[in-house]
Amino acid sequence: MPQLELLLAESDSKLPFQTARLVELWCAEPVFFASRELSDTYYTEGTIGNYALAYALGWARSPYRLTGQDTGRPRYLEDLTPLAEQCYILPAWHIEGNASFRFERFNALSDSYWYAMTNNRVATAREDLPLKRTGKKPNTFRPSNFPQTGRLRMIERGNRFQTLVFGDREVPEYIRVGKFTSKVRVDLLRKLTITPLPQGEYRCNAYLSAADIPSSLELLAFDLISMPPVSLLKNLRFRGAAWQVGDFILPANLKFCGGRNNE
Amino acid sequence: MSIEKLQPFLAPSYENFPKGRTIGVVVLRTTQSETIFRTEGTGEPMCSEYVQAGVQNTESISRLVMTKRKQVAPERRKGREFLRSHELLYTAPKSDSICALNTNAPCEMCIDCFLYGFAAGGEGAQKSRVWTEDAFSVLPSTELIGDRTINAIFETGTMRDEKGNASTALNTSEYIKPGVHFLDIVTLKDVTADELRYALGNILLTSRYGAVSSRVGRMENQILGIFGGIAELPSSLELVQGVYDKLAADGKALEHPFKTEPLIAAAKSVIATWTNKRGISMQLSADELDALIADVDRNWSLNEQETFLKRLDRSYASLRKVKSEGKKKGRDQQQEE
Ligand SMILES: [Zn+2]
Repeated sequence: MPQLELLLAESDSKLPFQTARLVELWCAEPVFFASRELSDTYYTEGTIGNYALAYALGWARSPYRLTGQDTGRPRYLEDLTPLAEQCYILPAWHIEGNASFRFERFNALSDSYWYAMTNNRVATAREDLPLKRTGKKPNTFRPSNFPQTGRLRMIERGNRFQTLVFGDREVPEYIRVGKFTSKVRVDLLRKLTITPLPQGEYRCNAYLSAADIPSSLELLAFDLISMPPVSLLKNLRFRGAAWQVGDFILPANLKFCGGRNNE
Repeated sequence: MSIEKLQPFLAPSYENFPKGRTIGVVVLRTTQSETIFRTEGTGEPMCSEYVQAGVQNTESISRLVMTKRKQVAPERRKGREFLRSHELLYTAPKSDSICALNTNAPCEMCIDCFLYGFAAGGEGAQKSRVWTEDAFSVLPSTELIGDRTINAIFETGTMRDEKGNASTALNTSEYIKPGVHFLDIVTLKDVTADELRYALGNILLTSRYGAVSSRVGRMENQILGIFGGIAELPSSLELVQGVYDKLAADGKALEHPFKTEPLIAAAKSVIATWTNKRGISMQLSADELDALIADVDRNWSLNEQETFLKRLDRSYASLRKVKSEGKKKGRDQQQEE
């Protein structure tokens, strides 16, 4: 027994966070992320990823203008891994287990008086029309590489999600998430203490980000929610050290990108 | 000069990294003619949603919704009309044509591109610093929707053509009645004083929204309150709910047509309590708000418009020197952090 106590005391001292808060997210607006694309429909998964939440909470500041390499490359490693000892947040799960959705059509229009819908594109150069009629493909009539019409599956207004926020940073009352910067209210429900649990076999009852799990953890079974930028795991059974946070059991030492710096 | 009062929440010049400076604008949008807002194409019903009536009144009612994208597109177009006429839209690097909305070829250099953003087109992407929100009608939608039977009449003036065939173009279509009030919140992030004037001007000058047609969709926008702070205001849904509770508590009959004056009074009393909320530092007083609107009107006036727009356009000049200096600029940004 003394040995176990020693072990507990040791892992206790290594706890990066003393407390966590259970928060509720209320969608004041429909929320859209391009999680999946099927034909001309863009699907949002029924969850909110924790990387999006970390930016939305203002923990990392992404610039207003992206240039050069940054347009095609996420900055999660630079932006999020330095937060490892200060704060962490789990992906948010729906409080009733399944989010409700709504579909919306989108249709981008141009600001010109004359326009034509061409291959996935709004053409506005009227002077190119005669050229096109001859069978030539003027630049302005070529297909666009980003969608200008289609359907969106969005998380409906009024859905409620929960998640755990680790560390004691102040949390704003309202955040903006998703492609259309939708307003989401953040309510603090309660403060929870974190208790380290010894090595063992556990079942996790929260959502986890696949990239944030320590590499040493043994994953026994899980359901995968496949979505960018990081797929999520739910119903995870695992073997390893764990944290008890209120009623939640999680793998110990969760960190953005598993704490990897610049690999 | 009340723009001075907002100074702590305005950027001195365009800066690429967010600094938490937030201007919240409470807007009342009132339809002046029949208006059409739909989320799915022609023939579909008006855009409405079941939401809680008030904050206290938990009964569910159907409200008309003016979605955020339905607001920002016409307002951007309005500003761009002036940019175009003063030749302040630039040539897009990718297509060699003048900056245009939604054509995959933004110029990346004009006032509109800097303030409202653009998706990855040529060199990069710019996030919008104008955040809109779905706006809601205060009253239940059942009060606010009219039905019209459209019957296409032949040149004979009847429903039958010369051969006696009946017109098939008989249709009913829904519309939003004139005099319907939508309450809305617009959030501006890290904008300069001139960008604030530009964005407010776009809101105040835009008078047509919704389905593309020359005869419908007239709307008047009024600014009821401006806040400066480091955090966002409550949502527009919570605003209409607060106003609904207030009107119900005052014993007002909630039926259309509803007078604008008591609605404004109720909205102003609801937002007056917001100043005490976390992080929201100050609200312009009624006089300061009037002075700010006068300042916006002056800058957009025929005499000053060109000077104002060119001054704002010049404020981005150093950021347009690209490519060869790209590396040096990157270093400067890091130092600034
Ligand atoms: Zn432009």
